[in-house]
Amino acid sequence: MKKKRFDPEKTIYAVVAIACFFVLWWFLTTFTPVKNTTPDPIAVLKLLFESFYTPIGSKVITGHLLVSLRRVLVGFGVATVLGIILGIAMGTSKWASAIFKPIFELLRPIPPIAWISLVILFFGIGETSKYILCGIGAFTNVTLNAYTGAQNVDPELVGCARMLGTSERDIFFRVVLPSCTPQIFAGMQVALSTSWMAVLAAEMVGAQEGCGWMIQRGSDTLNITLVMVGMIVIGLVGMLLATLMRAIERRLCSWNIMEG
Amino acid sequence: MEHHGGVNKTPIISLDHVSKTYLSVHKTNEVVRDVSLDVQENEFVVLFGPGQCGKTTLINLIAGLQLPTSGEVKVDGKTVTAPGPDRGVVYQTTALFPFCTVMGNVEFGPKSRGVPKKQRRERAQYFIDLVGLQGFEKSFPNRLSGGMRQRVGIARAYANDPKVMLMDEPFGHLDAQTRYMMEEELEKIWQKEKRTVVFVTNNSEEAVYLADRIIILTNTPTRIKHEIKVDLPRPRVYSDPAFLEIRRQIEEICDDTL
Amino acid sequence: MNEYAIQKRKERIKFTIVSVISLCVFFGVWYVCTAVLHLKPDYVLPSPVQVVEAFIQKLTQTNPDGATLFGHIAASLQVALTGYLLGAIVGVPLGIAMAWFRRIDLFVTPLFDLIRPVPTIAWIPLMILWFGIGLGAKAAIIFVSAFVPCVINAYAGIKQTKPVHLWVAQTFGASRREMLFTVAIPTALPLIFTGLRISLGTAWMTLCAAEMLASNKGLGYMIQLNRSLARADLIVVAMLTIGLIGTIFTVGLNALEKKFVKGGRRG
Repeated sequence: MKKKRFDPEKTIYAVVAIACFFVLWWFLTTFTPVKNTTPDPIAVLKLLFESFYTPIGSKVITGHLLVSLRRVLVGFGVATVLGIILGIAMGTSKWASAIFKPIFELLRPIPPIAWISLVILFFGIGETSKYILCGIGAFTNVTLNAYTGAQNVDPELVGCARMLGTSERDIFFRVVLPSCTPQIFAGMQVALSTSWMAVLAAEMVGAQEGCGWMIQRGSDTLNITLVMVGMIVIGLVGMLLATLMRAIERRLCSWNIMEG
Repeated sequence: MEHHGGVNKTPIISLDHVSKTYLSVHKTNEVVRDVSLDVQENEFVVLFGPGQCGKTTLINLIAGLQLPTSGEVKVDGKTVTAPGPDRGVVYQTTALFPFCTVMGNVEFGPKSRGVPKKQRRERAQYFIDLVGLQGFEKSFPNRLSGGMRQRVGIARAYANDPKVMLMDEPFGHLDAQTRYMMEEELEKIWQKEKRTVVFVTNNSEEAVYLADRIIILTNTPTRIKHEIKVDLPRPRVYSDPAFLEIRRQIEEICDDTL
Repeated sequence: MNEYAIQKRKERIKFTIVSVISLCVFFGVWYVCTAVLHLKPDYVLPSPVQVVEAFIQKLTQTNPDGATLFGHIAASLQVALTGYLLGAIVGVPLGIAMAWFRRIDLFVTPLFDLIRPVPTIAWIPLMILWFGIGLGAKAAIIFVSAFVPCVINAYAGIKQTKPVHLWVAQTFGASRREMLFTVAIPTALPLIFTGLRISLGTAWMTLCAAEMLASNKGLGYMIQLNRSLARADLIVVAMLTIGLIGTIFTVGLNALEKKFVKGGRRG
């Protein structure tokens, strides 16, 4: 990992680019027909600040955020645990692989969003179905990565542990599991963003609160400003989640970061 | 830990007419043919042979990572059927656990066998110091140079207190200079912590420098071709005429094969 | 054939049988839970037999969602491919340009980083408000979803070109342009393909969402409408079709990749 150095040229370009973006946006929405459909950046920022104390629907913006986050984290958390167990089982045991892989391969190509209707019919439009949809989004990614990770454990390391007199149980916890962690983490990162997407879709289709509901509400009431505010917040949170995952990964997998 | 053994005692490693044939889907591949070999306690035996011969297979057979197709391998009087902590292996690729620190690697074996933390730490520290890696206890292997990694490998094998050390071309990947240094270090460590060592190499200089006895192997299927005792005083000098004479002998014997 | 080969083969046959049994058990349990025990009403969880029946009916009938299965598939494919191809055509060259030309990199990367964290699904309402619910809006959504992974991977691919290779090209007197086409792009090709594969997956998933929210045809619409009609059998048919087409896409792209990427994928 190279340390980030402060690069003045980069910063200047970035500032100029972003300034250009906003000026162009402002220009288009002030002087051209685009203004009939699209709000200018100032209106969006204004609504963004207002939304922190003026409720949209039943909650202020942070309330919606927390609702969505809770759904994601519950679904993601449960699915990650299950996915790791199933993935490693399939990767280490031929029996588990023979039993579960065909079913997994059958269901895997169905995107989590396509499950929405069935899950809603099954569980209603309450919290359970949101958790499950987020879970489906995370589960396939984590399972797949844990599976490949467990398959690619260096047999020499396992042999080496045997030579050192390690019991089979210890080999699993002290060799196989740590060997897979980087791969599992890679899966979890993708899984978290898929979950984040799934919760938006689920909320857009049927909910009374949450970020997805917020932008859908904006769309239904022809309120583009609200849609844009929602997108900004959703993007920021998505970024935050990704950064958080990377930070945890750096903590846990520092041994895996290659020199240079 | 101290053993007082005459040469005539029962050997600690004995290979009795061992053969190994690999079966793959398309062909059968005979790698080791009828090898019989006795290694005495605290002896340093070098298996010397050309590039693609079954040296690694021999090591794996003694280690118990593979089982012979016919014949028998005994270590300390017991037939080898599985890998075990009485034999320590140092690999060419080092096979360090990338997710463990240097300390974690060295104490891996003792920890597996349930040695209490304080004791195993002390023991691991002793061997880390012995291989000259003090100060690197908390480093991960990806931060170490090739030579340093191999030192960890040696310390890890030693820390588990095996009766027998098996070294499979441990310095094969190192550059020449590091290699000389590691040979010297290994010799010193071995003098201090006497063990039975079976060491594989294809470098005659390394063989003569380290060995009590050199076993020269043929190409696959591997058989024992010749045995040379090396009685030079240690530490040996690479340019000593007697040293060079033995190297010349080895090379002569090997040339015959061709 | 030797002993080992026979043993290997036996093992393979054994585990294939286990797999088949496992699938049978899966469908068996599904069947028993629905058709025999009726744990859930049909409109919530149909039996496999009902799904097959619905599938066969749907091949010819337009009821109740206004199109045959092929009609929906065609509608979805039209949207997905339009948006995906546009995304790839714009995204890959942009990614390459960003990685190869420093000024473009400096200028475009911050803008790209600005929109990248917004999940494509969050674009749906905006696109609908801008473009209505026709082909345009949906294609625009798919475009965004395909565009982002294409750019990221093409960019990363070019960036991983080893300086040594560029130096070799330079000593042969290659111009910068030639270096791009003979060294950098071939190096990037495996990752570009990874990007194309990822973006196809995302595009296909986004399509479902887009069609659920704004459409009157297509597989996503089929899923959405049949929920309000409580026709779970048709929902399952649509889900399986989506999964199947997604698999076909992946297989096709892998075949393309094998053909184009010479020297194999590198780690």
